[in-house]
Amino acid sequence: MEADALTLPDPPDVPSIVPFWIKHRTAITRTIAVTVFLFGWEAAVRWGGVSPLFLSSPSAVVLRLIKVFANGSIWPSVAATANVAAWGAALSIVVGVPVGILMGRSMLFRDTLEPFIMAMASAPIVAFLPLLIIWLGIGATSKIALVFIGSVFVIIVNTETGVRQIDYRLIETARSFTASEFDILTQIVAPGALPFMVAGVRLAIARVLIMVVVAEFYAATVGIGYLIFQAGSQYDTTLVFVGVVILAGTGVFANAALRALERRIAPWMHTDTTR
Amino acid sequence: MIEVRNVTHRFESAGRASLPVLNDVSLSVADGKFVSLLGPSGCGKTTLLRIIDGLVQPTHGQILIDGTVVNKPGLDRAMVFQEFNLLPWRTAQHNVEFALGLHGVRGAERRDRAIEALQRVGLEEFAGFYPHQLSGGMKQRVGLARALSTNPRYLLMDEPFGALDPLVREFMQIDLLKLLDAERRTIVFVTHSVDEAVFLSDRVIIFRAHPGSILEALDIDLPPRRFENDEAIKASPAFVNYRNTIWHLLKEQLRRPA
Repeated sequence: MEADALTLPDPPDVPSIVPFWIKHRTAITRTIAVTVFLFGWEAAVRWGGVSPLFLSSPSAVVLRLIKVFANGSIWPSVAATANVAAWGAALSIVVGVPVGILMGRSMLFRDTLEPFIMAMASAPIVAFLPLLIIWLGIGATSKIALVFIGSVFVIIVNTETGVRQIDYRLIETARSFTASEFDILTQIVAPGALPFMVAGVRLAIARVLIMVVVAEFYAATVGIGYLIFQAGSQYDTTLVFVGVVILAGTGVFANAALRALERRIAPWMHTDTTR
Repeated sequence: MIEVRNVTHRFESAGRASLPVLNDVSLSVADGKFVSLLGPSGCGKTTLLRIIDGLVQPTHGQILIDGTVVNKPGLDRAMVFQEFNLLPWRTAQHNVEFALGLHGVRGAERRDRAIEALQRVGLEEFAGFYPHQLSGGMKQRVGLARALSTNPRYLLMDEPFGALDPLVREFMQIDLLKLLDAERRTIVFVTHSVDEAVFLSDRVIIFRAHPGSILEALDIDLPPRRFENDEAIKASPAFVNYRNTIWHLLKEQLRRPA
């Protein structure tokens, strides 16, 4: 029994893991907030006497959303909007990235173009739509042009920032190892600025969606923006929300995907494992 | 052989008087020698190293390597930088391959030579690590492997151990000497550590500042393979004597009114 005297008492019961509600606190509070919001909205329409002509309910929107996808009636609208958005975004990247690199690398280009780019980046681009329609008609071309002008400057500004933040010492190191200007562009500038370019595209996506919807409001015969506008004029508030949900979902998905891409291509910028 | 002939350099800045950095510096580095450029901050030793590398064109004077004028970086020289200057988006191995790729080495040969260079600095197990996952000493080993991978005749080292903590620094010095014992190279080594310069070098060139010029050149006659008994060497009368001589020269210099 002497051994018992030497045995230490068991340590007090300390929870070895962080409690569930602390570990997932943000997820829990977010879920609660969204649930309360949706429930309050549903209740207002169902029992609060709000007319469905003014405000649809979440349940009606979800059912309608399933219906339009199930019977395929939404696809022509989605296809038209996706076509304009994709072309506009692609053109912005193809033009914006080289111009941004040029401005980041050349003081002459930067000093010359800076005021113009800044003015365009902060101007209300939708105001150009009437002009674009006069020049390009009411088809997809004028909408693609609006999306392009609306998003290209964000990409230019971000790419330029990305190029300028590259550590000069890395460029000098490359020079020291006999790099040509082309080597520096492809092996230092492009990978160094890539995370900023992706961030620029991410910021541009929101503008792409705004531009395409506004363009479809103004002059279109097909598209999500047109669908929303038509639904609104017919007091079909459920269909309005269906369009909004599709656009918002696209935006959220694109944003998350590009954020994941940023983390993947630039692990050194999103890390706390530095020794 | 590297010859520095009457090099004078000024930093030009628009609208202001140019700042003299180096004033009429001449020296030569014989093949196979380890030569340190030692001096206080602002003595232009780093600028001189960059001029030797060909990154900077001197205002006057010239650099000759085996009688040929240097005016741009070349395949015969490789630099190791104080701040490592690794590409953050490349692994250790791909950072080494970066230099090889710029020298036109491709494919399997490039990969094999990168791995082999990492082996020489004892870092092969970390080939797949990114710089942000490596310690300071490891980063500089990658920097060294990158420079060695291209098999340069001249290794130009710009305060390579200046950003490391003292213990790591001593290990790196010993490992560098071991490495150079196995493969004889010509080294130009910039430092402001007197002990480091004496311990590593065959010859120490002491600079004065504002503007940088040579104060004294001192041959260090300590036994070879110093890495084998570094503590004994650093305690030896000869080492202490060299160190005191250099300290004395530097202090005399600083005591004079600027």
